[in-house]
Amino acid sequence: MAKRWSVIAKGSAAPVLLLVLLELYARGPGKSSDALAAPSAAALAFFRALGDGSLLEATGFTLASAAVGLLIGFVGGGLLGTWLGLSRRAGRYGFLTVEVLRPVPSVALIPLSMLIFGFGLRMESSVVAFATFWPMLVLAQAAARLVDARLLEVADALGLSPLARLTKIVLPSMVPRLFVALRLGVAIALVVAVTVEIAANPHGMGYAIMIAQQSLDPALMLAWLFWIAVVGYAINSAALHLQRRVALVMGGVA
Amino acid sequence: MNAVAPGAPLLAFDRVAIHLGGREILSPTSVEVGRGEFVCIVGPSGCGKTTLLRAAAGFVPPTGGRVVRAGKEVRGPSREAAFVFQDYGRALLPWRTVAGNVSLALEAAKVPTPERPARIARVLQTVGLAAHADKFPLQLSGGMQQRAQIARCLAQEPALLMMDEPFGALDAMTRESLQDEVARLVRESGLTVLFVTHDLDEAIYLGDRVIALRAHPTPDKPSLAAIVQVPIAHPRNQLETKEHPDYLRLRRELYQYLGHH
Repeated sequence: MAKRWSVIAKGSAAPVLLLVLLELYARGPGKSSDALAAPSAAALAFFRALGDGSLLEATGFTLASAAVGLLIGFVGGGLLGTWLGLSRRAGRYGFLTVEVLRPVPSVALIPLSMLIFGFGLRMESSVVAFATFWPMLVLAQAAARLVDARLLEVADALGLSPLARLTKIVLPSMVPRLFVALRLGVAIALVVAVTVEIAANPHGMGYAIMIAQQSLDPALMLAWLFWIAVVGYAINSAALHLQRRVALVMGGVA
Repeated sequence: MNAVAPGAPLLAFDRVAIHLGGREILSPTSVEVGRGEFVCIVGPSGCGKTTLLRAAAGFVPPTGGRVVRAGKEVRGPSREAAFVFQDYGRALLPWRTVAGNVSLALEAAKVPTPERPARIARVLQTVGLAAHADKFPLQLSGGMQQRAQIARCLAQEPALLMMDEPFGALDAMTRESLQDEVARLVRESGLTVLFVTHDLDEAIYLGDRVIALRAHPTPDKPSLAAIVQVPIAHPRNQLETKEHPDYLRLRRELYQYLGHH
């Protein structure tokens, strides 16, 4: 335990030093800066936003949009990718469509989705869904192709039905690689959700940080920046934690 | 069970040939395996013995001839014929416990859920894994993983058990004890076994009959080098059987067939 604290103390030495330097700079030579604020001022702004509820509301909106979009992208891309990976013929038919649509930058779809859905959660999650769909598809396709041929022979030898073969052999085999896809998807979903809010959607954390910037309030802007980083770290840790739990249940596989 | 005359062979290779990449690996070979018989196929690497077994299981069609099982031509894998792979590490589902892996055979055969635990316990008892039912494959030694795979095949309740160098990756001690256990459970269950190995001693020790295949067949030296009967009574014993005059004679005979082309 003491050793762990010592590791934490050593690891935080550099960030703490940076914060102190930033504080000194902001109070001294950078007093009139529009870009930088003292960490203490940012902390105050953070607690004000927490107190008036705007922090939680914006966080909730961004996370909900990212989650809905990721769910659609992960399930849709995962299922389609699995199918394309298992069926060589489907893979050949789907290949060109995937390669043409995949490189479209997801944020370029903001104007279109705004026309279709207007402002709000549906517009934002549709862009997130598009952005996460393709990497999920490609990774699921690779995962389905990489199912051990021996296990498929075992399925044949035991006479498993096609559905049982999918649910009992193919999907469990894919789990470790699907978790790689999920963790990648979580990161993409958050980035795209915040980007959509900064660029267009007047809701959520991205919009809040834009408003702080436009109203020349660098303390609040830095408070949001800090908070978005914390949220990103937290959901990545949550995904990692989930992966470890599943690995435990699956006998150390995932 | 079906309209096959009693005494008819359970498995028949009818002029089965195997080509790989345009080269003849196995020249046309006809062999029959009777019900309850333990037949070993032995031969050097590249003689086509594993491919022959895979054709018998229905994983690959033979490039020539046909395989007939219980009176019907083999066109694909069947629950009637269980297959023990050499690489037990890849053949077991690593995310299922030993009991879960055995259960897979019962799930595939649509055995009602309430009946499964008793049947799983019974086969695990047979292979000596009763104490390890809740362990995952990665927590077990190689020998125990192979026992788990054999248990799953037994749970399938097949008429024919095919084994592809099942003990090839195990150490000598484990191999001998597994040989004795397989010999025992085959005798108890009356299973028909087709057993592929490159180990002459293993083939003679286990088999009622040994089929010796040679690599690189030519018109005057076909793949089928010899079929020998092993006239040594069961149960056999690692020490006494291997000192038996018939054992030594067959060993020398087969060695000459395979060792000198």
